[in-house]
Amino acid sequence: MAADTISVIKLHDVLMVTVPPDPDDETVSALQERVLQTMERHEAKGLVLDISTVETLDSFFARTVVETVQMVALMGGRTVLAGMRPSVAITATQLGLTLGSALTALNVDRALDVLDGTHRLGDVSDDQ
Amino acid sequence: MTNERTGEVRIDSESDIVTARQIVRNTAIAMGFGVTDVTRIVTAASELTRNVFRYAGSGVMRWRMVNACEVLGLELTFEDYGPGIPDIKRAMEVGYTTKGGLGLGLPGAKRLMDELEIESEVGKGTRVTVKKWRR
Amino acid sequence: MATETGRAARARAAKAMKGPLPDSETYTRLLVESVSDYAIFTLDTEGLVTTWNRGAERISGYRPGEIIGRHFSCLYPEDKIDVGFPEQELKTAATEGRFEDEGWRLRKDGSRYWANVITTPLRDPLGNLVGFGKVVRDLSQHQQATDRFRLIVESAPNAIVMANHEGLIVLVNSQTEQLFGYRRDELIGQSVEILVPAGVRGAHPGYRASFFADLKTRAMGAGRDLYGMHKDGREIPVEIGLNPLVTDEGSFVLASIIDITARKQAEETIARQAQEILEVSTPVVQVWEGIIAAPLIGTLDSQRTEQFMERLLQRIVETNSPVALVDITGVPTIDTQTGQHLIETVTAVRMLGAQVVLTGVRPALAQTLVHLGIDLSHVITRSSMSGGVRVALDILNLQVVSKNGKR
Repeated sequence: MAADTISVIKLHDVLMVTVPPDPDDETVSALQERVLQTMERHEAKGLVLDISTVETLDSFFARTVVETVQMVALMGGRTVLAGMRPSVAITATQLGLTLGSALTALNVDRALDVLDGTHRLGDVSDDQ
Repeated sequence: MTNERTGEVRIDSESDIVTARQIVRNTAIAMGFGVTDVTRIVTAASELTRNVFRYAGSGVMRWRMVNACEVLGLELTFEDYGPGIPDIKRAMEVGYTTKGGLGLGLPGAKRLMDELEIESEVGKGTRVTVKKWRR
Repeated sequence: MATETGRAARARAAKAMKGPLPDSETYTRLLVESVSDYAIFTLDTEGLVTTWNRGAERISGYRPGEIIGRHFSCLYPEDKIDVGFPEQELKTAATEGRFEDEGWRLRKDGSRYWANVITTPLRDPLGNLVGFGKVVRDLSQHQQATDRFRLIVESAPNAIVMANHEGLIVLVNSQTEQLFGYRRDELIGQSVEILVPAGVRGAHPGYRASFFADLKTRAMGAGRDLYGMHKDGREIPVEIGLNPLVTDEGSFVLASIIDITARKQAEETIARQAQEILEVSTPVVQVWEGIIAAPLIGTLDSQRTEQFMERLLQRIVETNSPVALVDITGVPTIDTQTGQHLIETVTAVRMLGAQVVLTGVRPALAQTLVHLGIDLSHVITRSSMSGGVRVALDILNLQVVSKNGKR
C-alpha cells in the first residue's frame, strides 16, 4: 500500500517525487525503493524531492534521504530537496540533522534550475 | 480527542510511531502552540517513540496537559520494559547510538523540548519524560 | 384574681419565679436574664410586667425598675392601643396557646422599632393561667441591614447576581440588567443558568454544587476564559468573583461580574502592538528581488534570536528570496548561546534553499566568535552591508546567467 502512494514523475532527464505530509516509515522506505528503481530505468541526471508539504522530518526520514542522495550520486545524479518549511528547517537544525550531499532549493522551479545550472546554490553538503 | 487533558498510546509497531505523531500534533495545535513549536514537539515525540520501538519492541506513550502558574504545557512520557540504558550520560551525547540510528534522539529531544528527564534501569526498562511550555 | 392589687400580684409572680427552684430552672433563669439579643419578659394575667431581662432593657430602653408593675401596653404605639391590640394578643395566646406577630413597638424614648413578638401563656401544673411569656426580637436592625445591603448591591459598579443554593436568582442590580439585557423581574426566581452560554449550561450545576460544598471567596473558573450570555444570545467575555453569604435564611452566593470585553480587546491590541514593535526592532525587509535584509540591533537573547530565526525563514519563503543579508553591526556582544543560534539560523536557511550573508562582522566580534568556538567557515561574511549586497547580487546573477545559458 505504501509504495502505491509514492509516484515518481519524469521531467526530461530529471526525476521528481512529491513527499506526503506525514509519511510513515514504510512509505519513506518505499520512496527510496521507487526512486532507485526509476533511476535505474531512466538514467536521470537528477532527483527533486518536493518536501513542501512535509510537516515532520525526523531522524529516520533524514537518514533515508541521505542514503537516497548517496545512491543517486552513485548512479551519477544529483539530488535537490525543494520547499522545506521554515518550522521543519528550524526543527531539523536543532535536532542536529544533516542532509548529506543534498542540495536545497526554495521551490521545485528553482530546484529544476539548480539541476540545470552549473552553480551550486544552497549547497548544504557536508563535503565542502 | 483533543478535549481531553490526558491520554495514552501503545507503541507496538512502526505504524504506532505515526499514530503517536498525529495525536501529539493534534493536541499541541489544540493547545495553541505555534507552528514551529508544534513541529518541535512532534519531531521529539517521533524520535522518542522510535527509540521505544527500536530498543524495547513495545511500550507506551502518555501525554498530559499540565499547568504551572497559569502557563500551559504538554508533557509526554515514553515508557518501556526494555533493556534499559546502561550509561545515560553517553546516551545523551550527540551521535552516540547502539542500534544504528543517528544518535540524535535523546539529545535532540532535549534540545527541542524545554525539559527532559530520564529514568532507566538495566534489565528493567526506561522512562523518558519531556515537557514543552507554551510561550 | 381581679381583686388582687398589682403589687401583690407582682410579688406572687415574683415568688413563683424566684422561689427555691431545681437546678435546671435556675439555669434557665440565668440564661434568660443574660440574653441581650432577645427581650424575654413575663406578664401577669392582667398584662402587668412581672419580669424584665437584659435584652428587654436593651431593646426598649426601660430599666426593670421602670417597667415592672406597669401594663405592657405602654410598649405599643398609640394606634395599636386604640384598637385594643395588646389585650387581643393575650386573649389569642391564651386560647390558641401561642401568638406570633410582627409589627411596630415603642421604645422608652418614643421611637418605633419593627419587632417580631411571640406571646405564650404560662400555666401552673394544674393548668391554670398564671401569666404570659413574651419573646421580642428587634427586626429593625435586621431590616436596616437588609436595606443597607440592597443599597450597596444596587450602587455597586459591577453587575451583581445573588443566587440561593438551588441556583435560583434572588437579587440583581441594575448593572446586571444592563449587562445581560434582562429586566429584573425576568431574572428573579429564574435559574442562574439563564445567564450562562448554552455550551456550558450542562456543566454549570455541577460547578455550583462544588462551590456550595466548599464555601469560600474565590474567582470563578481560574485560568479559563469565561463568558456570560446576553438576552439576545451573544456571548460576553466576563470575569466573575464569587462570595459566599451564609445567613439564617440559608446559604447564598454573591457573584460580582465584570464585563471584560474592553479589557480583552486592549490585551489583544497590546499583544499585537508588542509583536509589531518586536518586528520593527528586528525588521526583515526586501531590498531587491531575491534579497532580503535583516539588521540585528541590540543584545540578542535566546528568545529574541529564535523569534528572529522564525521570522527570517518565513520571509525568505514568502518573498522567494535566495539571499538573506543579516547585519550584526548593531550587536555589541555575542555569547555562546546566541552564537549557536546564529549558526543554527544559517544552517536552517540553507536547508530552505537560500543562503545567509553575514555582514557587519567587525574584527572584535570575529575574535569573540572564534574564541567561543563558533564555526563560521560555511558562512559568507562581509564587514560591511554594502559588501554583503555586492555578494548577494553576484549570487543572484549567477542564477540569472545559468537560466540564460540554458535558454
